Amino acid sequence: MNTKPFLQLDRVIHEKGRLPIVSLLAASPELSFTELRDTLKMTDGNLSQHIKTLQEAGFVSVTKTYPGTRPLTTCALTPAGRKAFAAYIDLLEEIVRQARPRR
Amino acid sequence: MQTDWASENLQVIRTLMERSAVYRRALAPVMGLVGATGIAAGALGAALKLESSPPFAAYWAAVALVCLTEAFLLIRRQAVKALEPFWSPPTRRVAQAVAPAFCMGLVTGILFFIVDTDDREEVLSLVIIWMALYGLAMHAAGFFMPRGFRLFGWGFILCAVAGLACLIYAQAAVESPMGNPNIVMGVLFGGGHAAYGLYLYFTEKRGNVV
Repeated sequence: MNTKPFLQLDRVIHEKGRLPIVSLLAASPELSFTELRDTLKMTDGNLSQHIKTLQEAGFVSVTKTYPGTRPLTTCALTPAGRKAFAAYIDLLEEIVRQARPRR
Repeated sequence: MQTDWASENLQVIRTLMERSAVYRRALAPVMGLVGATGIAAGALGAALKLESSPPFAAYWAAVALVCLTEAFLLIRRQAVKALEPFWSPPTRRVAQAVAPAFCMGLVTGILFFIVDTDDREEVLSLVIIWMALYGLAMHAAGFFMPRGFRLFGWGFILCAVAGLACLIYAQAAVESPMGNPNIVMGVLFGGGHAAYGLYLYFTEKRGNVV
């Protein structure tokens, strides 16, 4: 089996905690911190850490606004993040395709 | 080995992306309040004898506006409490899904307001049109909401079909006191929402109630 696609997987996205975050953000223009936390059932600290890693890689942008008295933190995938996620999916599909018996 | 893992990851990604698009607000209080408003409005409309088309259409358009305001306030309150934006992408999708049928319902109401008639069958035909359009709107919204919502939409569509059959084949039912358009609106719209609200109250996941 060709292991090349597996080795090419982006290590920032290819992590148990970060892949679900990127997947959720890929399906939505933006999501609030609490929506991500509640959907993924993560702790505040854990989610913050993963978002920080994704932010440092340039994959996620974080915006803080003050619509009322409390701050609202929203996260969105950057164009680089969308590109990296699309490439990640392509590689996964290639791995699956390689294993299929050829006709 | 890698293949199984890759397939599982793709499945997880797909599930998460679908979940991200689903509207998550707690609907039990919204349905309950809208149901109670509908039942009260039906009783009041019958008591006030609003049976010709102009007052009937205007009255129920006002009731719809009250119900929309109630829903808006309850949902906004949930969003503020959960520190989430009100006008979120799933909310936008639901609004876009219901908009065409709601617009058509408004246009039909205006037409019946202009065409002055006190014929019960004609007024009941407006009820049937509204019910069918509302069912279609709920069904369309159901694609971005928990699964039961589409069945809720189908319920209204089937009620519209049954109403049409009564209008054509069961004149006695149309002429009976239960054929009063306000009572039909109160029982089907109000009662339907109240029953669905009650069902959601016992079945909606508490984890999703934000």
